[in-house]
Amino acid sequence: MLRFEKRDKTPVRLRVLVPICSVLLGLLAGSVVMLFARVNPVRVYGAIVKGAFGSAYTFSETLVIAVPLILISVGLCLVYRMKFFNIGAKGQYIMGAICGSYLALFGPATMSRPVLLTLMLVLGTLGGALWAIIPALLKVYWNVNEVIATLLLNYIASYILWFFMYGTWGTRGFPLSKNFALNAQLPRILPAPSRLHIGLFFGLAAAVIVWIIIRKTRFGYETRVLGDNERAARYAGINVFKTVIIAAVISGGLAGLAGIAHTSAVLRILQLEINSDYGYTAIIAAWLAGLDPLVAVGVSVLLAALEAGGYQIQIVMRVPFGIVGVIESSILFCLLAGEIITHYRVTLTRRLSTPPRSTPRIGKKCSGALDERARGAHESCL
Amino acid sequence: MDGQEELMLVMSNITKRFPGIVANDHVNFALRKGEIHALLGENGAGKTTLMNVLDSIYYPDEGEIVIEGKRVDLRSPLDSMKHGIGMIHQHFMLVDSLSVIENVILGLESQGFYIDKKSVAGRIEAIAKKYSFRVDPYAKIWQLSVGEQQRVEIIKTLFKGARILILDEPTAVLTPQESDELFGILREMKSEGKSIIFISHKLNEVMSVSDRVTVLRKGRLVGTIDTASITERELAKMMIGRDVLFRLERKDIEQGREILKVEDAQVYDDRGIMALNKLSITVHGGEIMGVAGVAGNGQVQLAECITGLRHLVSGHVMVEGIDVTNATPCTLASAGVNYIPADRLGVGLVPNLSTVENAMLRRYRQEPIRRGTFIDYGAACAYADGLIEKFDIAVPLRNAPVKVLSGGNMQKLLLAREIEENPRLLIAEHPTRGLDVGATEFVRKTLLEQRDNGVAVLLISEDLDEILMVADRIAVMYEGRIVGIVDAHHVDIAQIGLMMTGAVGVKV
Repeated sequence: MLRFEKRDKTPVRLRVLVPICSVLLGLLAGSVVMLFARVNPVRVYGAIVKGAFGSAYTFSETLVIAVPLILISVGLCLVYRMKFFNIGAKGQYIMGAICGSYLALFGPATMSRPVLLTLMLVLGTLGGALWAIIPALLKVYWNVNEVIATLLLNYIASYILWFFMYGTWGTRGFPLSKNFALNAQLPRILPAPSRLHIGLFFGLAAAVIVWIIIRKTRFGYETRVLGDNERAARYAGINVFKTVIIAAVISGGLAGLAGIAHTSAVLRILQLEINSDYGYTAIIAAWLAGLDPLVAVGVSVLLAALEAGGYQIQIVMRVPFGIVGVIESSILFCLLAGEIITHYRVTLTRRLSTPPRSTPRIGKKCSGALDERARGAHESCL
Repeated sequence: MDGQEELMLVMSNITKRFPGIVANDHVNFALRKGEIHALLGENGAGKTTLMNVLDSIYYPDEGEIVIEGKRVDLRSPLDSMKHGIGMIHQHFMLVDSLSVIENVILGLESQGFYIDKKSVAGRIEAIAKKYSFRVDPYAKIWQLSVGEQQRVEIIKTLFKGARILILDEPTAVLTPQESDELFGILREMKSEGKSIIFISHKLNEVMSVSDRVTVLRKGRLVGTIDTASITERELAKMMIGRDVLFRLERKDIEQGREILKVEDAQVYDDRGIMALNKLSITVHGGEIMGVAGVAGNGQVQLAECITGLRHLVSGHVMVEGIDVTNATPCTLASAGVNYIPADRLGVGLVPNLSTVENAMLRRYRQEPIRRGTFIDYGAACAYADGLIEKFDIAVPLRNAPVKVLSGGNMQKLLLAREIEENPRLLIAEHPTRGLDVGATEFVRKTLLEQRDNGVAVLLISEDLDEILMVADRIAVMYEGRIVGIVDAHHVDIAQIGLMMTGAVGVKV
């Protein structure tokens, strides 16, 4: 029989080893699937690593994908800590792209580049923020579940994009906008063919700023109190309305910024496929990072590597891109399962048949947590 | 111990460990057939854990259980049920929206696909009749009073054929009259040959109802004795390991001016049912107003509407003459209203944040913890350390989540945080629930200190002894009203009991 006991404290050794083993186990599980698809897992993994980190160029392409993941996941770290489960980053990303692109496509052509780009980024951020304010308002006024609201708003955003692309923004009946003018292209920072752009700095700055907000400011403290115990927050006089709205604006704004930055710097065109699924991948990144914005940067890069490498195996080895999804999810699965080991002590016990020993064993030191269940159900009487 | 055949249940060398604590340390316990056996101990003594082992909620790390001479291995509540063990938990395990019938047959394997409600109802009524109480089998649980719900729990265990009944602090939620009725039922069951384990930390109940008593302290067995051969004081000493103060010193002080005035307050509860029905109450400085009543008669809502957590539909709340009806918590804080909620982790504290972050919850908007947009965590730590030292709170790691603290220390922290704000009005809701004797004494002394300093204290408690011990006046609540206010110095408990059931009203 397996027995689970809550740990008082996770040893550092485990905190390092368990995630590593989990990732390895996830890769192993992915290999099994690959064997069924009759491809050599070792070669596939080799190709992924090569495709993601093999050269300066491939690594820069990995970072291109990492930039939007960083921007979005960092914002999600903030709202998830407040237990506002925004899964609408996809929609916010799209709205950011649409709003920013409006200026790129129809703005005054004579505007100087820095001014135009700044305005585009601001407008994109506002677009994403607006798309996050809607569910936030629904939540604080009518207690509408934000998961449902944000999810549905993703579809609405997608169809708004369709509406424009098949409508007046498309060219000659194709769902593609005209190319962005040079003025409306966010600068890239490495020589061609690399597409890495200055959005990377936005992402890194956002990670540091959000980390400071969470850890050092009154607002961050209020979001954490609110996320853990809304009634205590109300009693402490925290303005729940204001806190939820501001946090949603920050998270949505960062997703919108990611949308317009990626569109303007990498795609340089508005189209139906603007990689808005980063909005979902970023959710995984935020959770894997334990909602720590600085860790989220690293996790975003790793997930981006998997994605970038995935394109490579598709091209080089003719393995379906879906394999990447399989690997990604098996890793996630193993990491989540691994948390049981970091949070609980798991022991294998036999049925109780040995005669009880006479010498009582002294309990471990450290007056720590009682069993959660015991505390919950019989708080007063354990 | 008497002949082996007389023993219903023997638990030997039961050990159950939780991280950082041994809840039961080689405990022996024997239950005779047809006895009421009290299990006595402070909070945290391991009473509930020991019984949860019987009810298969926990599996012991060591030890063995013998029922009627046969070794048993209890792995699931179904095993326990099969061996005739039925437990009535402190928090009832009933489904509110289902009827009595549906609750009684819940989890019964004998029921087939089709439920014959009529025959079940008949059997329920037969059981009720046998012990001379009444229950409507078709009533939904939420429609029943707490006392009635407890009877449903009893029926549930009897219906399942329990021969060993375990009751975990059954009187905590009952009026004195309801408790007496319960004891009647227990005695009746005993005469039928059922064995009853009665968990309590109320000495007078143990003395009056039990045949034998087993005392636990800090997870270890202190001893088992015949109740007839011991006094209340000796039992208390066994339980605590030292003599207890049964009386608290209280100064005679002048009643101050009126601080809290609630007028005709009307409030709805979460289900939209009227919880306060034109309630009025006043509390003066230097006075502890005890609010007694059976749980669920609007006490929670009274505290909530004064502290700004619940909206008043009509009526007024005044603090020192200022109208604070439906004021924001911030306004109330500046008016000097502070609150010790019943649900420490649910309302008072933020479980996953640290001791420091919880200590600063009322202070983070003020210098020196506030530094503009930022928080000076150095100052916050210093502030928390101050509280920890002043109130002698045992905090192993001040940056660890506050939920790992013991109940007593959580309460001390909460009390410290609120009192440090220099309240004019302090509302304490069940402030000693779940605390051991030491912490309880501390909390009560602190409340009295506040009273001596001229603070108006509104003490809401379901522990009548506590109210009698510390309050100056006692207001009895029934169905959202104050049915009477009595002077705590000359009071008749039976009278209060009757008022708690709404039977009589007294105006002072």
